Amino acid sequence: MPSYQNEQLLGMWLDGQLNEQQRQAFEQRCLDDAGFAQQVEAANMFNLHAQHYVEQEVPQWDRAATFDQTEKTPWWHWQGLSGLSIALSVVAMFMVVTGFQIKVDEGAVTISFADKHSSQELERLVNDKLQQYQLEQQLAMNRFTQSLQQQQLDASGQLTQYLLTSSRKERREDFAELIKFINEQRTDDQLFYARQLNQLQQDVYSPAQTGMNISKE
Amino acid sequence: MFEKSDEQLIAKALQGNKQAWINLLKRYEKPIYNYGVRMTGKHEDALDLMQEVFISVYRNLATFRQEGSFKSWLFRIAHYRCIEFYRRKRPMDGLDDIPEIECEQAPSEQHIDSAIENRLLIQAMQQLPLAQKSVIELKFFGQFTFDEIAELTGMSANTAKSRMYGALEKLKTLMEVDYA
Repeated sequence: MPSYQNEQLLGMWLDGQLNEQQRQAFEQRCLDDAGFAQQVEAANMFNLHAQHYVEQEVPQWDRAATFDQTEKTPWWHWQGLSGLSIALSVVAMFMVVTGFQIKVDEGAVTISFADKHSSQELERLVNDKLQQYQLEQQLAMNRFTQSLQQQQLDASGQLTQYLLTSSRKERREDFAELIKFINEQRTDDQLFYARQLNQLQQDVYSPAQTGMNISKE
Repeated sequence: MFEKSDEQLIAKALQGNKQAWINLLKRYEKPIYNYGVRMTGKHEDALDLMQEVFISVYRNLATFRQEGSFKSWLFRIAHYRCIEFYRRKRPMDGLDDIPEIECEQAPSEQHIDSAIENRLLIQAMQQLPLAQKSVIELKFFGQFTFDEIAELTGMSANTAKSRMYGALEKLKTLMEVDYA
């Protein structure tokens, strides 16, 4: 049988929590321990006094003062706050899990789940992208064409300039050659005529001299 | 007549319903007042203590979680208010110190009327240290179990039992003298 302290045994007895074994121990202690028996008797007596105690009436007092003196309950002490926070957390989790989305587009509110686009939305997005791509391509083509045209113009101009310059130069050279040739011809002619004249002079003067010589002779 | 539960009155009082608070207060003012009389031995002090207890209860009403009974919660506040009350009155005394009885201010017919038994009982209780008096009060008048007393006062159930045992020993002597 476990041994109980007097205080514990008396406490359990006063609480009415004694089991059969403890009750036996309690009764045995009352028989064996006179001091404990007296304590039990005192507890009984005091319990009796307490039961016979006449509750005294409360004198008049300002009950409303306890209400007026108090402060307003702060909003964060609101009892529903914890429930509200749990509910909002659940809603938030639901929104995250389901991919909940609200869209306002041209005056129309669209609520969607699973973070997926509708077929109309998808078509519109594809069309938008295609148009954008087309526009970009057109602009790029225009720029390329303009650049090509400019290059051709530049090349044609340069070619013309070159042809003009080179033909002028050739003509000048040709003329120079011609003049040179003519000059050479003239020089040759002059030489020829000079030789002819000399020849003629020789021819003219040579017989006369011969005759004179003959006549002198 | 249908009587509203404590929880309903508390909810209404928290919404600012004064009448609900007054009704709740009327329901518990008598036990708290008598608790004060037995703990302090004086009507005036009991009235002051009761007022302090109810002001404190209302201020903390929003924190009442309804995990236990309102009565237990109320008496827990009353217990701590009572300790504060004693500390203000006798700042040098400890919880286990035996109070000095002031003969001229001791409870007498002038202060505590009603039955002679009441007076003798209260007189005897005033000679106990506060810690023992609290246990006796909560056990015999509040009808709390030792586990509940432990929860109310913050001491262990075994300590409460020891204090009750010691208190009974003193009360036995005191009341024998008084009743002799």
